[in-house]
Amino acid sequence: MNRLPWWMGGILMSGLLLLTFSIFGADRAIGSSTYVPYFAGIIFDLDPEKYTYLKEIKNSGSWEGIMLFGALFGGFITSVFITKSFRISFIPTAWKTYKNNSVVSRLLWSFFAGFIMIIGARLAGGCTSGHFMSGMSQMAISAMIFGGVVMVTLIVTGRLFYNVKGKK
Amino acid sequence: MADVVFITEGDSLGARVLQMVESVVDQDHGSVALVFLIGVIFGGIIQYTRVDKFEKIAGFSMLKDTIVPKMLFLAVGLTSIALYFMIEAGGAHYHVKPIVLQGLIIGGVLFGISMAILGKCPGTGPISIAEGRIDVLIGAIGGVLGGLVFTLYYDDFFKPLMGESLGNGILPDLFPGHENMVVLIFGIVVTLIAIFIPKVELFDEADLSQLSDDQRPDKK
Repeated sequence: MNRLPWWMGGILMSGLLLLTFSIFGADRAIGSSTYVPYFAGIIFDLDPEKYTYLKEIKNSGSWEGIMLFGALFGGFITSVFITKSFRISFIPTAWKTYKNNSVVSRLLWSFFAGFIMIIGARLAGGCTSGHFMSGMSQMAISAMIFGGVVMVTLIVTGRLFYNVKGKK
Repeated sequence: MADVVFITEGDSLGARVLQMVESVVDQDHGSVALVFLIGVIFGGIIQYTRVDKFEKIAGFSMLKDTIVPKMLFLAVGLTSIALYFMIEAGGAHYHVKPIVLQGLIIGGVLFGISMAILGKCPGTGPISIAEGRIDVLIGAIGGVLGGLVFTLYYDDFFKPLMGESLGNGILPDLFPGHENMVVLIFGIVVTLIAIFIPKVELFDEADLSQLSDDQRPDKK
């Protein structure tokens, strides 16, 4: 068995969310988009005293930064030893099926999508982890608004962006 | 400790990374080791369930794969009930994000579009990079530049665009006196949604070919 079924993933993720929320764990919510502007601050050597946003995210950005290093490590080890999916690749198989065979097209679209993804997540104050998983688990109204808008936009974009007609 | 303080006060890239570690030490949100471990488990679950794959997230946007919503809804359904009673018992606290209506809607639209195109989100993206996906690494470079632009123009443009917060409301607050019932109904309904979303899957031949026939999920 080289992958876990969805229900096992859901149960394990629920356990991890509860551990993180618990006062015996981290006493906070899991999030994974604040680290990006935090890293931008580190990489471009921005003075944290000069930028309001860097001051606001100092704590959550650093916390998520450490978590990210853990996630990279955990993901790498699992992909090499368990799922055996580690390989260098430039273009996903389904992109070839439903979009095109051009590596340049994939890389340009990836760059563009990554750029607006982080701006979107920071405008909303969270991403799939912070809003959808952690926020909805607290039944937060903000998370439900975000989750609804993302679901609808995601499916509309999928319809329009990919060539799904006539392919199984 | 004097040495460490000296290093973290420096201005090099290494010192700035050490300041990140120091900032986590100064917070009361778990030790650095625990936070790292939370990340390892997070990455392990995402990789082991394969939800970091383009085929899973972009596949969902084309409605050709439903593993991601099934897993997300199940995690939310189970956690919502357990967390509510954990908070009631004093074992956890609320960390509710504010309702910044414009920010949530504009941000949600940008996020939904980019999630369909990239086929990742900020949590699953790094796991893909860890398994060697260069296209996602390029996406991450775009993301860091997005984060840079957001930081630079936060005061003048993005903060006004987000609008004022309408509070940190949660669903049970809207039904005073029936909080426990609302939580149970919410948790059970969300869990049932997870179970009843029809299971469809889009597989990636490039991964499947690494496995022997009896391990291939598409041949079971």
